[in-house]
Amino acid sequence: MTTATTTPTPTPPNPGLLFDEPALPLHRRILSSFRGPVGSISFTLAVTLLVGLVWIGPEFLSPSNIQIVGVSVAIPLIVGVMASFALLAGVVDLSIGSMVGFGAVVFNQLVAAGLNPWLVALITILVGAVVGLTNAFVIVRFGAEPLAVTLGMLTLLRGLCQVIVVNAPPSTLIEPLYNVTQGALLGFPTLLLIGIGVTLIAAGIVSKTRIGRKVQAVGGDDRAAARAGISVSKVRVIALVVSSVGAAIGGILYVGQLGSASNVLGTGLEFQIYAALMIGGYSITRGGVGNPIGGLLGLLVVAGITNILNITFIDPDYLDLIVAIILLVAVLVDRLRGGDAFE
Amino acid sequence: MTTSLITPADPAAPVSPGGRKGRPDSRGATAWRDALSIAGVWLLLIVATTIVRPDFLSSQTLLAVTFTMAISGILAVSQALIVISGGLLDLSLPVSLILSAWATVTALNNGLPTWVAIPIGIVTGAAWGLLNGLIVVFGKLNPIIVTLATGFGGLAIMLIFFKSAQIPSTSELRLYGLGRFLGLPNVFWPMVIVIVLAGLALTFTRWGRHLRAVGGNAQAAKARGIDLRRMRLATFAGAGAVAGLAGVMFSAVNPSFTPASGAGFQLIVIGAVILGGISLSGGKGNLLVLLLSVGFLATIPTSIAFFGLAPAWALVFQGALLIIAVGIDGYRLKRTAR
Repeated sequence: MTTATTTPTPTPPNPGLLFDEPALPLHRRILSSFRGPVGSISFTLAVTLLVGLVWIGPEFLSPSNIQIVGVSVAIPLIVGVMASFALLAGVVDLSIGSMVGFGAVVFNQLVAAGLNPWLVALITILVGAVVGLTNAFVIVRFGAEPLAVTLGMLTLLRGLCQVIVVNAPPSTLIEPLYNVTQGALLGFPTLLLIGIGVTLIAAGIVSKTRIGRKVQAVGGDDRAAARAGISVSKVRVIALVVSSVGAAIGGILYVGQLGSASNVLGTGLEFQIYAALMIGGYSITRGGVGNPIGGLLGLLVVAGITNILNITFIDPDYLDLIVAIILLVAVLVDRLRGGDAFE
Repeated sequence: MTTSLITPADPAAPVSPGGRKGRPDSRGATAWRDALSIAGVWLLLIVATTIVRPDFLSSQTLLAVTFTMAISGILAVSQALIVISGGLLDLSLPVSLILSAWATVTALNNGLPTWVAIPIGIVTGAAWGLLNGLIVVFGKLNPIIVTLATGFGGLAIMLIFFKSAQIPSTSELRLYGLGRFLGLPNVFWPMVIVIVLAGLALTFTRWGRHLRAVGGNAQAAKARGIDLRRMRLATFAGAGAVAGLAGVMFSAVNPSFTPASGAGFQLIVIGAVILGGISLSGGKGNLLVLLLSVGFLATIPTSIAFFGLAPAWALVFQGALLIIAVGIDGYRLKRTAR
């Protein structure tokens, strides 16, 4: 924590689009963008695409295959981008996987009970906010370890899911939600476009606005941030609520996509999302680093590998192995680049 | 600053190492207070369940609770060693457990005698721990991230290589797993021995003092001439060997298991360690309190069954307890800092 915390995220990608960088010659900008975390993850994504194209052929980039990948990656993307604010503020929220499941179960059961879906969606989001506030209360008020608190919340919410849904869950079909989650717009999955939109907005907030800078400052060095007059508690409470609400929204979208919510929905999702975010340049043990665009690219790499394995009928167990290796390499590269070392 | 890699949640939270390990007498008092409060809550749970269902106080309940304690207790010692040494957390414990169980069972199935199969299981656990340790030490990477990855990857490798494993039903180890000693399940006793031995070693041996010193303040320990790398590697390998023993016991009590069978232990074990007052910031912890917290957590599922609630309520209570326990732990650290 003593090194590299005061410097803001270096060298973001796509200069000129979202980031106010000093004007450099084009080749210098391209070169320098490869040095940052987002640069190396773009490289990994390019390699993944290349492997896909060579192994599977042009069908890898066919519209139907993009639809498949897009639909599978969109909800984790939305959940991950919202959760990344908590990571950025230096408080990891492990409960998102269970919160996705709990949000989906609450939404599905209440809709099946005959309530208005819009009202139920509002209730579900409120439930998410309450969970986030509970996490935040224990973490911020009592100064408890975020990892342990949210691990407890993960267990608690999964237990509630299993208490509520004992047998087969009821199935619900909500027409507008189904259209959003399964439809396509100009050949691209609607939900993926929404997810990318959310990512771009989040990236804008993180790198362009004062709120974003505050969150980064709090995650990077909370004492310095407090001395600079930033309310560390307020930033962390908001970040944790955003994270939980994002997971609740993810749960609602899953119900739209699947038409039901079992009591195991979202199990292990937090590990997949955080692995992808860490590959994309975030850290679960220190705040203040990472950019939502990196998160998007990280999720695309994982989804791309999943897709290649699916098409070639390779045992999906290899996916976790490959993700684990990429994750280790990613954190090692980040460390060699000047990220914090363990001792 | 360098010891606490998990970001303190509040700027007022103590980061100076002096606040945590300064006064040994107050630490002893904390351990007693922890032990008394857990024992109190445990007793409360037992009394409450007995009032609702008088038949709760039976030898059946005692058997069920001690049986549940056996595996999670040994695993909790393994996790506690990592946490006390400042290694934060080992998230790949379920892999150590199942990998060693698989190694033991495979050795037995290939006709090797029991006295060879058991060391094979323990050594497998130690090797897995050593692998984690090597990545942590030579990659200089955070153990939580490393073991998250190896936990993921290890489960995947096991799933690729075997779908399920069976212990030979007539093997000595299986018969041992079914047997009882002094009215309690056989597998309960190794757990007690492991906790007592590890607790004594932590308190009275040089190795234990070094372990706690490294966990309390790694840089200060290094300045006093403790070899950090060797200490880390030894801790990971040692904790792995303890998890390996848990794997051997696991194979003795489960007629068959899959690579994913270990997943359920993850939260219980971390919960027991934190509830037992072993702070994630490292350097402190009392294994007697750990035994109490393991016993308390193991009683919850049985109590829930007697209350007539769905088994899933056990998860709800364990989760809520964990949140409350870390809240109290954090609050206490905050107060001692002032």
